[in-house]
Amino acid sequence: MNWGLLIQLLVNGLIVGMLYGVVAMCFTLIYKSTQVVNFAQGEFLVLGAWICWFFIVKWQLPFVVAFAFALVFTTIYGILVQVVILRPLIGEPIISVIMVTIGLSIFMQALMNWIFGTSAARFPQVFGSEKITIAGLNVETAYLMSFVLSLVIMVVFFYFFRYSRYGLAMRATAYNQQIAQSLGISVKQVFAMAWAISALVSCVAGVVLGLVNAVSNSLAIIGIKVFPAVIVGGLDSIVGAVVGGVIIGLLENLAEFVDGQYLHIGNMYAVAPFYVLIIILMIRPYGLFGTENIERL
Amino acid sequence: MKRAVMAVSCLLASAAFPALAQDKVFVGQLTDYTGPTAFVGKYYGPGVRDAVDFINASGGVAGTPIDMETVDYSYKIPDAIAHYKRWKGKGMATLQGWGTGDTEALIGFVADDKVPVLSASYSGHLTDPSGKNPNTKKPAPYNFFYGPSYTDACRAMVQWAAGDAKAKGIAKPKFIHTGDNHPYPNAPKEACGAFAKELGFEVLTPVVIPLKPGDFKAQCLTIKESGANYVFVGNLGGSVVSMVKSCGTVGLDVTYLANIWAGDEPTIEAAEAKNYIFPSASPFWDQDAPGMKLVRQIADKSGFAKNEKPTHHYIRGICSVYYMKEAMEWAKANGGINGENIKKGMYAKQDWVPKGLEGVCLPSTWTPTDHRGTMTVSINRGNFVDGKAKIEKIAETKLPREDRWLGQ
Amino acid sequence: MSSVPYPRPCGDFRTSYAADMTLFRTRGATIAAWAGAAILLAAPLVGSDYVLSQLILIGIYGIAALGLNVLVGFTGQISLGHGAFFGFGAFASAWLGTAYGVPPLLSIPIAGLMTTALGMIFGIPAARLKGLYLAIATLAAQFILEDFFARAQWFTGGSSGAPAERASLFGLPLDTDRSYFYLVLFWFVVSYVGVANLMRTRDGRALVAVRDHYLSAEVMGINLTRYRILSFGISSFFAGIGGALYAHYLGFVSAEAFTILLSVQFLAMIIIGGLGSVAGSVLGTAFILLLPQVMQAAASSLADVFPAMQQGVAYIKEMSIGAAIILFLIFEPEGLIHRWRLIRASFKLYPFSY
Repeated sequence: MNWGLLIQLLVNGLIVGMLYGVVAMCFTLIYKSTQVVNFAQGEFLVLGAWICWFFIVKWQLPFVVAFAFALVFTTIYGILVQVVILRPLIGEPIISVIMVTIGLSIFMQALMNWIFGTSAARFPQVFGSEKITIAGLNVETAYLMSFVLSLVIMVVFFYFFRYSRYGLAMRATAYNQQIAQSLGISVKQVFAMAWAISALVSCVAGVVLGLVNAVSNSLAIIGIKVFPAVIVGGLDSIVGAVVGGVIIGLLENLAEFVDGQYLHIGNMYAVAPFYVLIIILMIRPYGLFGTENIERL
Repeated sequence: MKRAVMAVSCLLASAAFPALAQDKVFVGQLTDYTGPTAFVGKYYGPGVRDAVDFINASGGVAGTPIDMETVDYSYKIPDAIAHYKRWKGKGMATLQGWGTGDTEALIGFVADDKVPVLSASYSGHLTDPSGKNPNTKKPAPYNFFYGPSYTDACRAMVQWAAGDAKAKGIAKPKFIHTGDNHPYPNAPKEACGAFAKELGFEVLTPVVIPLKPGDFKAQCLTIKESGANYVFVGNLGGSVVSMVKSCGTVGLDVTYLANIWAGDEPTIEAAEAKNYIFPSASPFWDQDAPGMKLVRQIADKSGFAKNEKPTHHYIRGICSVYYMKEAMEWAKANGGINGENIKKGMYAKQDWVPKGLEGVCLPSTWTPTDHRGTMTVSINRGNFVDGKAKIEKIAETKLPREDRWLGQ
Repeated sequence: MSSVPYPRPCGDFRTSYAADMTLFRTRGATIAAWAGAAILLAAPLVGSDYVLSQLILIGIYGIAALGLNVLVGFTGQISLGHGAFFGFGAFASAWLGTAYGVPPLLSIPIAGLMTTALGMIFGIPAARLKGLYLAIATLAAQFILEDFFARAQWFTGGSSGAPAERASLFGLPLDTDRSYFYLVLFWFVVSYVGVANLMRTRDGRALVAVRDHYLSAEVMGINLTRYRILSFGISSFFAGIGGALYAHYLGFVSAEAFTILLSVQFLAMIIIGGLGSVAGSVLGTAFILLLPQVMQAAASSLADVFPAMQQGVAYIKEMSIGAAIILFLIFEPEGLIHRWRLIRASFKLYPFSY
């Protein structure tokens, strides 16, 4: 039993899992307020990465400035998407909303292919050293940045949703739109804000992804890979999203260990999370931290 | 509904006009500019297109122009088959194919319909036309390609690696195949592993790495743990970039042996690769040879070289077209340009280099029992130095024409 | 759903149960249906190869879309895994031919039944889930099945794919588009009539009840789990038939053809056509299949005017599918069939618009 490799893989899983957690957070941010799952989340990530890359490489801006510009750009884009595409669909059945986000993902993929090309583009070196060592495993410095940022985001959102007016407004709208409206909360504003925040966070995750692997449009697949994480954690829990991401990261690497050492099938890394997803949906669909939906007649 | 009716009637109208009475030869071209192999498709495809345009501008195939329809099928195999059927209905004489998946799928179809295919897939499964090797799964009498097959290139690199391991003093070097579970990376997996075993390598369990880019540290850790010295790279493009970067982070110190499509300057630059070995079947753009003059003329005419430097994939596309053209010329002089005669035309010359491309295309010989055009593989090493990719040729191997390697 | 009046003659003269339950409710509809069938029967004699191949593809995907409409439109379940069931039908039919020598005309319905079994197995966990969770579960099923297709060497030939036999009718080979068209037409008519008929049976009404208000349906005694599983089974049957026809049409089945994008396309077909409408499924299928070609032609002619567009033609084709889905859902959420019904009603009720 190769303990050394197992430990290394688990550490890798923990760290990569934090990034999955950040991506999962983007899903839950939107779902928490609008009851919509954004199937185009992967494309939002890649868009953030491309915009940041564009500012760094084409306009020669320093990383922090480019990052800030990219955040602003994606926030505005998120609001725009919500206003133009999602607002007309308030009240429509869930399948229409799912299809609209899927259609948006197809559209964005093709558009980004057209504008930025289909090949991978390297992010120029941003940190002093490309990798650091954690517990005997080398990881890219970008993951440390994502770890720090995700902690910051979690703390900020914890206070935001619990204590600030807008956070409370978002939670109220998620619970019952009509009552929230009757209390004077502008549902439209709340929705726009939810999408803006989610786009902001996806930009962060996207830039980290782009730093680690070169930026390319195929990175959008992470939007689908993260579904198991979102469900395991609970669709409307921010903490659950991060925990779910870490669990899925660990699970993937554990599957790779078992596969590489014993089973030799070759695909467990990619497919194990989906098996777990189905099992979780059977046993505990609301995940570890999600709110249970009790049906009333 | 209205749109559908309008579209169908437009299509009906356009289809009502049959092929022109003018003497032309119809060729179909499959390209991938938007799919998973677009990374290299966007060099090879224009190579083929520009070469055909240049040929037409210089008088065509002994006076007959080539009418080539180019379709970007995004590596969707069913689309490729549908386009093939449509072109067959239009009387296609040859197919300039692209991917391993669809070319291997069409082996039976093109044999029945007698349409020669010159593909960008160099899969070993396309090299046995008559089934001479009892291990061949499916004889491919109408499939041709220019360049060494994936398996032969892998064998050449493994042969080089054996010498390299001896020089480095590694007693029992370890070889591992990486790539997605997909026809293209799978093509050389078995046969190359068998050859490596023959040469004294320890062949480890292959590791699956998806064709889409991602974080592959987990797979790299598995490779590192297995102690591999030589890693065969079966994927291409963004996936290879991710893999090299992830493995670099993990601290994997191996020599990469890449397939021909995974070795070019954009890949090495994006991945910041070191000690990256890959094969080639033509000079690189900056190098000089008598035939490069024609290649640069072709690129200048179309303006392709204006925006980016063509890779060696562009040049191989040109070679593929010129072999097709000279086979068609032979066919025209020997009974008319149709599929069967073009196939015979491919057998007409030995150590064949198309006129004007000396020093660019390797001398190739196709025979009715052996569709491996060339067994010569140029091996190059790529390094990322000072922000640019530096490529140097380190060996030129000529493998023996072993019958037991046919179709594998 | 807004209700568009069906243009009947004034007064309601149905005097028997049979007259009330007919599939064609006016004489005009009956004539139109028979005329359409006659035109389709004559199509291979006059149509070009290209038109025929498009009609065959519309037929094949239409059968699968009809199945999906039973599941999504009539029962209210969401399925993002329909492409995988389509692929399973294709592989099953090819495998039956190569492993057991079953002739294609027989292997197509058998493949449909095999896919039904698979669909019902996946329906068992799915019956407990609703809405979004069901969508995600079917998404996971899609990926798992895709992976299975790429791995199972004995069944699918692994990643290299499986050859499928040519169909033949009592020794007459159906290998040209013209002859294969009749086989597809046969199954298409069977599927269309089958699904249209389903809606006037007891089970069909139960499915609609499950969609509209499942709690009331359960109160009335409709076994929700049973009907949800049945719905998955029925939709998988049509997906399997469509897939098997597809396999024998191409002569080769490759695992790559059945990705999540295909599932999304099926969903787009029924949503754009109109959820819960039998004719809408076919309209939506035709729209989704013909749209990329129309866009390619349009983009190529635009590229003549703006040369910069030339390299974007392939991207415009892809973008058009996404854009079509979004625009239809924003402006015409009830689909093409709703628009058609409005047009038909406006003809009948002129000068009133609806």
